[in-house]
Amino acid sequence: MTVIARRLAGHLARGIAMVLVVATISFFIIRNIPGDPIAARYQKLLEQGMSPEAAERATAVMYGFLPSGTLGEQYADYMTGLFRFDLGVSVTNPGTPVTAVLGEAAKWTVLPVLAGTLLSFLVGVIMGVYAAVKRSGVLGDLLAISGSLLHGVPQYVLALLMGAIFTTLIPILPQGGTADILFEPGFNAGYIGSLIEHATLPVVTYALASYGGWILAMKSSVVTVLGDDFILAAELRGMKRSIIFRYVARNAILPLFTILALSLGLLFGGAIFIEKIFNYPGLGFLLIESVVNRDYALMGGAFLLITAAIVVANILADLFYTVIDPRVRSGEEAAT
Amino acid sequence: MPVTPSATPGRKSAPGVRIGGLTVVYRTPAGELPAVSGVDLELPPGTITGVVGESGSGKSTLALSLLNAVQPPGRISAGSVEIDGLGDVVALRGEELRRARGRHVGYVFQAAQNSLNPLKTVGKQLLDLGRSHGVEDLRALVREARDLLGRMGLDGARVLDSYQHELSGGMRQRAGIMFALVLNAHLVVLDEPTTALDMITQATILRIIREVHEERGLTTLVITHDLGVVAEVADRLAVMYGGRLVEQGPTRQVLSDPRHPYTRGLIQAIPRLVGDIGEARALPGRPPTLATVPARGCVFRERCPLRMDVCESEHPPAVAHGTRLVSCHAVEAGAQEHGGEAVAAGAREEQA
Repeated sequence: MTVIARRLAGHLARGIAMVLVVATISFFIIRNIPGDPIAARYQKLLEQGMSPEAAERATAVMYGFLPSGTLGEQYADYMTGLFRFDLGVSVTNPGTPVTAVLGEAAKWTVLPVLAGTLLSFLVGVIMGVYAAVKRSGVLGDLLAISGSLLHGVPQYVLALLMGAIFTTLIPILPQGGTADILFEPGFNAGYIGSLIEHATLPVVTYALASYGGWILAMKSSVVTVLGDDFILAAELRGMKRSIIFRYVARNAILPLFTILALSLGLLFGGAIFIEKIFNYPGLGFLLIESVVNRDYALMGGAFLLITAAIVVANILADLFYTVIDPRVRSGEEAAT
Repeated sequence: MPVTPSATPGRKSAPGVRIGGLTVVYRTPAGELPAVSGVDLELPPGTITGVVGESGSGKSTLALSLLNAVQPPGRISAGSVEIDGLGDVVALRGEELRRARGRHVGYVFQAAQNSLNPLKTVGKQLLDLGRSHGVEDLRALVREARDLLGRMGLDGARVLDSYQHELSGGMRQRAGIMFALVLNAHLVVLDEPTTALDMITQATILRIIREVHEERGLTTLVITHDLGVVAEVADRLAVMYGGRLVEQGPTRQVLSDPRHPYTRGLIQAIPRLVGDIGEARALPGRPPTLATVPARGCVFRERCPLRMDVCESEHPPAVAHGTRLVSCHAVEAGAQEHGGEAVAAGAREEQA
């Protein structure tokens, strides 16, 4: 147990160091983006038809929320703030702490992306096994081709296509947003139904976009394991098919957990294109908005959240492997 | 070899095996090509038979045929494998075939191969095996496995608790033998049982094979490319080339007085412990592959020093010479005096 604890401590130390490095890099990159929040806002207001004077007055409010001092001082402020989980204040939503803005958006990202990832993982893995077993047949070929096709189509094309089909050609699903304003937000059937209805397109699109990767990965993994000697050995010992199937499945799915852990880390990156296209106010949507508005603090916060999530996902994946793979486990024991 | 009385007198006794006209073909883009052609081989009950051949000679395919387990794109296209108490294995299908594997015929994999599931302990896999074959008393099965492993010089309880990666090559091989025997199979097929093991471990494994064979009253088939292995354990020897058996007979006779030019070549290629290294001469040429095996005539003629015209057109039938079966036109024509007298004499000395 102490071995795992020590490993965990090592992971955490490395993880925190990684987060700090990424925070530093993204801080300087973000500050080097041409333009600034006030110019961006001014431009936007002009485009909305405001007179230059009115726009100037409106943007003047923002000065109060901008960080001051030299770049070095700002960096020091930012980093000390980090340790208090203070990511600064968003200028687009004057006065709101970045953490609050991120928290609000995360609500709309984590669940749909989680649902989409798990759905595509489940369906992709099952279809992958099927495609591997039937790889010499027509159905296996079709499954593999469907995987390659879906894997090859960019997310935004798929999202536009799905949107066009299900909101225009066969208008059965809402075009965007999170729920109908008709319903009182809360725990009532109407609101929840509307939530699900609105989440369907983003979730399904996300699932379709990642399904191709899963089916291809699982198929090749199963084909590899099927060719392993211990499977033939089990067959020659007269093992039951159901037991052999379990041997294949468990060995084949092992490498996929790494990919799954990494995609769960990306939960907090949101599905940028999909959220933008379906006007779904999640983290991906927020990230685009923050870049457009040159909202430094918000951008930095979003990047940091993604980094931290991926680091944590990696640590969890590593710990998970020690549970499911005896070879990793004993490697650890031997290392002490 | 010390012959100890049978430790586990099973209800079953050593079965005899008769392979007749066995032909196995592999589907390739160039059509179905034979890997094993018209093989006739008898394994008398209670004997150890060694099949020797180069890689690609079809010996592993022959071994898999005994369990009707030739892997696609290969298939048994003709012939039969009659096993006492089981009937023709080639005709078995589905559940019947599955039950025969493991219970009647034990198969031991090449040592270099990983024949165990890396994610489960040996013991858990043993339980899976027991459940697959409807063994009611799983405790007794574990006890039997522990005894078998102990018999082979291992700490049975420890091995059952181990994962594959925690075992050495020699230990894995013994675990493999345990899996082949634990359901009380009396026909055991060992495919390259000592390949990739060091010399000491090889010797240990061969001794174990011999002893377990005697104790349990088995019929054993050993597939190998190593004449030394056959000389060590086998009562009878069959030499395979290009998917055909070219010579078979009692091990001692075949090794001391090889008749077929291929057998002679094989023996001549072994470096001697005494004498000049130059005396060992490799067979010229290369063994045929699936695609280059001649469809007509003798499969060995391309490399044969005794080649005759008839070898081009007609496959030599197996002809009995005492206890021996040899398939060679030249031997029949009495031409062996020209080519291999010296070799045969050398081999006789080696054996003595």
